[in-house]
Amino acid sequence: MAMKEIDLLQGTLDLLILKTVSSEPMHGYRIAAKIQELSDEVLRIEEGSLYPALYRLEQKGVIQSEWGMTDNNRKANFYRLTRKGRTELESETESWERLSRAVRRVLRAIEQGA
Amino acid sequence: MEFIKLACRRVKALFTRNAIERDIDDEMRLHMDLLAEEFQRSGMPLDQAKHAARRRFGNLSAIKENARDIRGAGIAGDLLQDVRYALRSLRHSASFTTAAVLTIALGIGINTGIFSILNSIALRSLPAPAASQLVSIYQNFRGVSKRSVHGAGSLFSTSEYESYRDRTQSLTGVMSYSMPSDVTLGGDMPRQTAAVFVSCNYFDVLQLKPTLGLGFTRANCNGANATPVVVLSRDLWKDQFGADPNAIGKNILLNRKSFTVVGVASEGFYGTEIFKSSLFLPISTQPDVLPGLDMYHAERLSWLTMIGRRKDGVSVDQVRADLRIISRQIDQLEPGRTTDIITTRATSVALPEGRQILFSLSTVVLAAFGLVLLIASANVANLVLARAMGRSKEIAVRLSLGATRARLIQQLLTESILIALAGGVLGSALALWSFRGLLTVVLSSLPGDVPPVAIDSSPDLRVLLFAVAVTVAAGIFFGLAPALHASKADLQSTLKQDSGGGGRRTVGLLRGGLVGLQVAVCMVLMIAAGLLLRGLYAAQTVDPGFSYQNVAVVSFDLTSAGYTDDKADLFQRELMDRAKALPGVDSVAQVGRTPLSPGRSGTMFRLPGEERMHPVDFNSVSPEYFSLVRIPIVRGRTFVEEELRGQPRAVIVTEATARRYWVGRDPIGQTLTMGLGPKHETPMEVVGVAKDTQITQIADIPSSYMYVPTNTRAMGLNVLVRGGAGFLKTASVLRTIAHDLDPGLVVRINRLEDNLEFWRTMSRLATSLSAGLCALALAIAAIGVYGVVSYVVSRRLREMSIRIVLGATNQAVRKMIVKQAMRPVAVGVFVGIACAAAVSRILEVVLFGISAFDPLAFLAAPLLLLAIAVAASLVPARRALRADPLAILRYE
Repeated sequence: MAMKEIDLLQGTLDLLILKTVSSEPMHGYRIAAKIQELSDEVLRIEEGSLYPALYRLEQKGVIQSEWGMTDNNRKANFYRLTRKGRTELESETESWERLSRAVRRVLRAIEQGA
Repeated sequence: MEFIKLACRRVKALFTRNAIERDIDDEMRLHMDLLAEEFQRSGMPLDQAKHAARRRFGNLSAIKENARDIRGAGIAGDLLQDVRYALRSLRHSASFTTAAVLTIALGIGINTGIFSILNSIALRSLPAPAASQLVSIYQNFRGVSKRSVHGAGSLFSTSEYESYRDRTQSLTGVMSYSMPSDVTLGGDMPRQTAAVFVSCNYFDVLQLKPTLGLGFTRANCNGANATPVVVLSRDLWKDQFGADPNAIGKNILLNRKSFTVVGVASEGFYGTEIFKSSLFLPISTQPDVLPGLDMYHAERLSWLTMIGRRKDGVSVDQVRADLRIISRQIDQLEPGRTTDIITTRATSVALPEGRQILFSLSTVVLAAFGLVLLIASANVANLVLARAMGRSKEIAVRLSLGATRARLIQQLLTESILIALAGGVLGSALALWSFRGLLTVVLSSLPGDVPPVAIDSSPDLRVLLFAVAVTVAAGIFFGLAPALHASKADLQSTLKQDSGGGGRRTVGLLRGGLVGLQVAVCMVLMIAAGLLLRGLYAAQTVDPGFSYQNVAVVSFDLTSAGYTDDKADLFQRELMDRAKALPGVDSVAQVGRTPLSPGRSGTMFRLPGEERMHPVDFNSVSPEYFSLVRIPIVRGRTFVEEELRGQPRAVIVTEATARRYWVGRDPIGQTLTMGLGPKHETPMEVVGVAKDTQITQIADIPSSYMYVPTNTRAMGLNVLVRGGAGFLKTASVLRTIAHDLDPGLVVRINRLEDNLEFWRTMSRLATSLSAGLCALALAIAAIGVYGVVSYVVSRRLREMSIRIVLGATNQAVRKMIVKQAMRPVAVGVFVGIACAAAVSRILEVVLFGISAFDPLAFLAAPLLLLAIAVAASLVPARRALRADPLAILRYE
């Protein structure tokens, strides 16, 4: 049971959360589960990082929470993206793409060159 | 919008703390339940699954604390909790709290007290309705050639005042007034009292209608034809008329002129200056009241201060701009002159020259008092630090449970600020109550010829703000360093070890630094006090170079009494002749300024063939003066009879003057041109050289000083009488003679020695103030050293015991402790000496010839301080050594 096999870059967790809640509002557990599922179990979000991140993002005004009911009728706090969050998500995604392209290029260049 | 929502939530969060915590709890519980279900699905039994979920979830309280911080129950919400917590923990350690609060109360108290006095002098608005609208107006010339000054150079002439009054657009009114002058109030018992010449609209602009009578009306101010009128202060009205409501319309004699009372000023109003006036006269009466010097009609003579009342919505800067237009117009009539207008909020010391003196003086005083607060704060910082170290375990536990560092610092600071607040409130209350008494004592111990001052030291908003600012600053100062430090604790070692916090070395450094700081500050105050003490001794024993014993000074103001030259001649000649004839009287002389009297007379002179004017202090004396005060004429001679009448013009210079201007030449027979009065450039010849003496200022030989002859026709002179049968007897006889000659003249008779008394009083005041401060500082610093050493010793009991068991003597251990304690003290002493040497020159005025680097003070003060520090560290060392080392080791 790998706790955290990859160290997430600063800000990456935020990006993942934003992307995850962009499709539909969901509660904390679902967010963590979904990220884990979509990353083929590679990314496991620790609860100790998840909730502080959620509160921080909410404080920033990029997500909003509301109490609601889950599918099997449990009271849960649902997070969804705000309009500000959507712009944030776009720019964050773009800068992430740029970063990963750049990293890939460096890795490849060194592999081939020297 | 988001922002507003957020703000609303924050505010709501304050009141719905519990709701928020419940929300967080709910959210966490759901998550854990879901986690447990997942584990269950993968085949775990229910209870095991729950357990695993909880474990997976990690440190729940850390998440919660973090969430609370972010979720903005936030700082404000925590504050309430912190305050409650701090109060509880302070109550638990009552002795710590008492010591800290009292120390801080002392420090803040004396600062608030001294500020309340400075505030009342320099910052408080005038005692008038809507005083914030009042603006004091002064001017400053560039390129001015001819200007006479009565009071200060930044004042206005009558015609200038009228121009501003008539042309201003930004002020609803401008009034003006002169500096107070003494006038003789006639009657059965004539006496002198301070009068101020004011423009007719004086009370209108101030919006202080006289409480009795109409005050000045337009008809009173028509110059020559107007009936002379006067408004009295309430005190004078009570004294002179027994508070008779029918006093209006009655006449009083001022300088032998009759004035009709037209009003009584409101209670507690003595003019707008710090020195009290009890008579208010129209400015147009000035030439009548003070004959011989017509300031009212004079052009280019500075004598009036202006105060204007701003129109609604007009700023002080706009007023200045408006007045500048008028000043440009006036400048056009005076080619080569540029006038700068100075406008300030009106206070009782608004005169730029006065403010400058006051400002530098209060900087020194506030700095000295501030230093005491600094020492006190350093003490409390050490207490707080020791306490925080004692609580390092508690802090480590909280940190490991997930409290953030910022959160802990906030909490520790809350405690410090609470201490500071308690100290501030207590100290300020005591200070405001006790400083009023202190002020009365100081004022009453001032020399008699300092006029009565109006100081209202009751607290106002400004004093309150000052007290709060000082309190918070002190709280942060003594709380921040320990809080930063304590919250940095190294969890591992702290939790494992029983005693001692993390970073022991840095704690020691911080503690040593605080002690060093205290000692350094204390050193500065001690050296200052030491210097002043030496100065005080010097002042009692100084030999000014002239003989002041057994000399009576008879002074009277013939000008204000309306004397003519002939009348003055008759009076003074008769007075001196009769005095000379008294039994035991050796000699009688006239002098313009008695030696060492406060104030000075200056003029300019020019050497033949030179363009440059040299400034010089001068004195008018009769020929007998030199022999009377025993100032030898070392070359040449004193004045002779015909020189007294001004033909030829003769001058006597001091040795220093001769050395300065006629190096290697015989000064006798040299000529110079002296400017006596604006238009009188008089050629003069040096006939004598007088020995150097301390004339203008004690312990100071003026580098240039001249004597000019005077005679009995001149006014504004004092008569000196040497000898006679004791001062009191002589004084009463002289008074009788003067009364015989003119019963309406106010005559004052003093000892010449009293002039030295003025300087001695200044030195006594400065010395007692600094000695008090110094004793206070020393006591606080000694307690500080004692506290730190006790703490260190208690922490090292075990080590000390081992050393003793292994054979170290008590003496060796004691030496070790003291040596270690003295390290920061020694550093502090050196820093303190260096700082004192850098600033001690400002005290020179009251040192009476003692050097500002006086070796005795600079040696004795450090030795005393070191001795006290050693004593303070010996007490805990000895107490520790009395304990049984084996018992301690067994216990540990």
